[in-house]
Amino acid sequence: MKIPTAMDDSSVSHHNGGQVGSQIGVSVNNKQNEESSQSVQYSIPGVLHFIQHEWARFEVERSQWEVDRAEFEARIAFLQGERKGQENLKNDLVRRIKMLEYALKQERAKFHKLKYGVDLQQGDMRPPTEEPTQEPEPSERAQWKQGRQLIKQYLQEIGYTDTILDVRSNKVRTLLGLNNEEPADDSSHRNCDKQQHYSMNTALNRKMYEYGGKDQRKGAQQGSGYNEEGMSVQETAAVFANFEFLSNQEMDMDEIDDLDAKQMHHTTTKQGEDVDQEAEDVLTELNLLTESEADGGQGDEFPTVKFPATSATVAREGDGKPLALGELAQLTVSNESEGYDVASASKESFRKTWNAKYSLRSHFDGVRALAFHPTRAALVTASEDHTLKMWDLQRTVPAKKSAGLDVEPLYTFRAHTAPVLCLAMGAPRSEECFSGGLDGTIRVWNLPPPIADPYDSYDPAVLGPVLREHTDAVWSLSCAGGRLLSSSADGTARLWSPRDPRPLLATLRDDAPGSTSAPAAADFADAACRAAVVYTDGTLLLYDLETGQVVLRVPCDSPANRVRSHPTLPLLVTAHEDRHIRFWDAVSGRCAHAMVAHLDAVTGLALDPNGLFLLSGSHDCSVRLWNLDTKTCVQEITAHRKKFDESILDVAFHPLRPYIASAGADGLAKVFV
Amino acid sequence: MTKMAEEQWRSGVILRRNRPGSSAKDFRRWPDEPFEEMDSTLAVQQFIQQTIRRDPANLEAILKIPEAQDDGVWKYEHLRQFCMELNGLAVRLQSECKPEICTQMTATEQWIFLCAAHKTPKECPAIDYTRHTLDGAACLLNSNKYFPSRVSIKESSVAKLGSVCRRVYRIFSHAYFHHRAIFDAFEKETHLCKRFTYFVTKYSIISKEILILPKLEDETPIAQQPGESEA
Ligand SMILES: [Zn+2]
Ligand SMILES: [Zn+2]
Repeated sequence: MKIPTAMDDSSVSHHNGGQVGSQIGVSVNNKQNEESSQSVQYSIPGVLHFIQHEWARFEVERSQWEVDRAEFEARIAFLQGERKGQENLKNDLVRRIKMLEYALKQERAKFHKLKYGVDLQQGDMRPPTEEPTQEPEPSERAQWKQGRQLIKQYLQEIGYTDTILDVRSNKVRTLLGLNNEEPADDSSHRNCDKQQHYSMNTALNRKMYEYGGKDQRKGAQQGSGYNEEGMSVQETAAVFANFEFLSNQEMDMDEIDDLDAKQMHHTTTKQGEDVDQEAEDVLTELNLLTESEADGGQGDEFPTVKFPATSATVAREGDGKPLALGELAQLTVSNESEGYDVASASKESFRKTWNAKYSLRSHFDGVRALAFHPTRAALVTASEDHTLKMWDLQRTVPAKKSAGLDVEPLYTFRAHTAPVLCLAMGAPRSEECFSGGLDGTIRVWNLPPPIADPYDSYDPAVLGPVLREHTDAVWSLSCAGGRLLSSSADGTARLWSPRDPRPLLATLRDDAPGSTSAPAAADFADAACRAAVVYTDGTLLLYDLETGQVVLRVPCDSPANRVRSHPTLPLLVTAHEDRHIRFWDAVSGRCAHAMVAHLDAVTGLALDPNGLFLLSGSHDCSVRLWNLDTKTCVQEITAHRKKFDESILDVAFHPLRPYIASAGADGLAKVFV
Repeated sequence: MTKMAEEQWRSGVILRRNRPGSSAKDFRRWPDEPFEEMDSTLAVQQFIQQTIRRDPANLEAILKIPEAQDDGVWKYEHLRQFCMELNGLAVRLQSECKPEICTQMTATEQWIFLCAAHKTPKECPAIDYTRHTLDGAACLLNSNKYFPSRVSIKESSVAKLGSVCRRVYRIFSHAYFHHRAIFDAFEKETHLCKRFTYFVTKYSIISKEILILPKLEDETPIAQQPGESEA
């Protein structure tokens, strides 16, 4: 993903030339000496010899590979043979069982006849070879069906659709050779069904891991999400307690009202204390419940990270390593095992239709930005009402009319003195987020734990360091590998190590003559080695973060609102005021694709963690989901209403879970599943 | 729709939006839009914010209800705006109003206010009372149950505004009596307490006896509470 400059190219070829010289040095030494050996070390025979040498080497390697291939083919044949053997064995055993059953039936019949002198009507008395399948007991069958249905339901909830299930169970069947077997040949329908069912389960588990091969924690997380669906009694209790609490609180708002004002200082000390005690009891009770819930939750979360621990996971956890690299590593891993399958699986899981499920209503003004928690079903929103709010999607209140759920914020972050414009989530497990505001500050926040009660007492520990170097509104933030990239109306983009004593690492400024416009947005690119910055005049610049120099300059005449870099490919995506989304080759700067994506200015962009889908939001009030491969719109959702001429201000993908979200000028945020 | 958006985009008519990268001083700095021409469901909020932006000290203008505007929505949107701007006061208080010092929500010595955000009203420290009240107000005023629409509001829900106003006023009064420097600086910038007092008086949302703050300069006259002892 490095972008070779002209300088790099020449140095590379020179180096190769040197190698050629040294390799042919032995045999053509004399020649070289004879020819006045100036700086030029190439000669036609030398080059020819080198090519011949290389050819020979490749031939050797090729034959090596041939051998390897033959070996692997032999191994495959062996394994296939083994499988066949196992199958034969199984069939043999089944046949024996049938025989025994047949013998038993005959014996019973004989016994019956001897005892009562009448023939026993015993269903079927034909020999097992042509025996029709014995019907499974209805009750047992119903049970399987139920179980199967339940699993299906769970899977649907976590984003697996019916078709995938069918495709998968089919695949599993072929894998086990079940499809090829004639049902008549197959001993018992029940056995078959059972086995198939069993194998489907295991296969599904396996598939989850494989899906995780692409992003291990995704699979794992989904697995745990599945666990969470089957809530423990404790959790349920906690949730209900929560509901009760919330509804009571609403009641309090109107009924308690006059009560509290009547409390005279001198008369109510005692009463107040009683009330206090009671409230505390309730709170501790609640806390206990939620604590146990959280314990369960954490137990769910972290082991999942560990279990198929491979280099990929390690790479992601390694502190300095940027996220993108981790994903790359994971990609290769999955390619080795079952690359195609994984890709198609995650594609298919996106073929589903997204539906609005949660509406986040609590901001008093437009929501400018939102970001999902790296692992939990939680998100943070940033608003023009000067606050940020954290929401836990698992603590919901059923909404009245619609099928949707209302979520009440878990926490409100206050410190900005002006509208909050942008937001970035910290690395997994850092439990931090960053916000930038119209007040020119960037603030680091320590996220409160998921058990936090919105009406806990104030803990100043949520406030992290404040970065004040920007002198005007901060419009974009992105975070990678513990570093933060900001862009501001003061004309600069800045690179930070937010918790260092001297946090400012670099200031990126376009020094080209005549460039006066400010950056509109910035994003890390190329495994966080570079920064892609779009300016209000449309220019796209790529900075090298080592040197702070511009390495790529792409002019464009429409003002840009957003830039995102692809998680795995050298591809930059920009959102423009002229309704276009543009795709840029991050190496050559060539415009790879441009499309009219909306009916009005495009304001929000998000790429899914696998880089297969693009989400865009626009002032035309709609959110659109795009297949990155075909650049076609997969789904359009009208999500927000207008305030003045603004509508949707940001969109986001959850990094692990099947959630997408949009933020609007109407003060709402919505989460789709 | 397509055509209209296209037309608008081509002809360069005024687009009232804040573009990423624009300077803080240009935020929402666009020509006023006449209220009659606002077709958004958020027209009232737009109109109120626009008027405040023009001159935050001009209480008359800010609180002059447009013709044919529904009264309930008008009050509701103003209260939303108050709660939102009160975040600014809460931020300032966060640095000074410590739970060790202001252990209770008080203004004058006469009352202790219990925080109603809890299952059972609680004697929260002043800073928590402030935060809980604002958070609770945010939940109530955005509740799908009571305020599902921003264009029309049930009479029964309008009645809820009074209790929010009473609590919100206590934040002002605590700041006034215990953190005067913060109060004054904030008031100088926003004229929020003056506006709020004017608002609740004009619409008789809370009774004058509860308005314990002495008359702030160039404020519309409010009857003062007799026999008040200052802290
Ligand atoms: Zn205080
Ligand atoms: Zn409280």
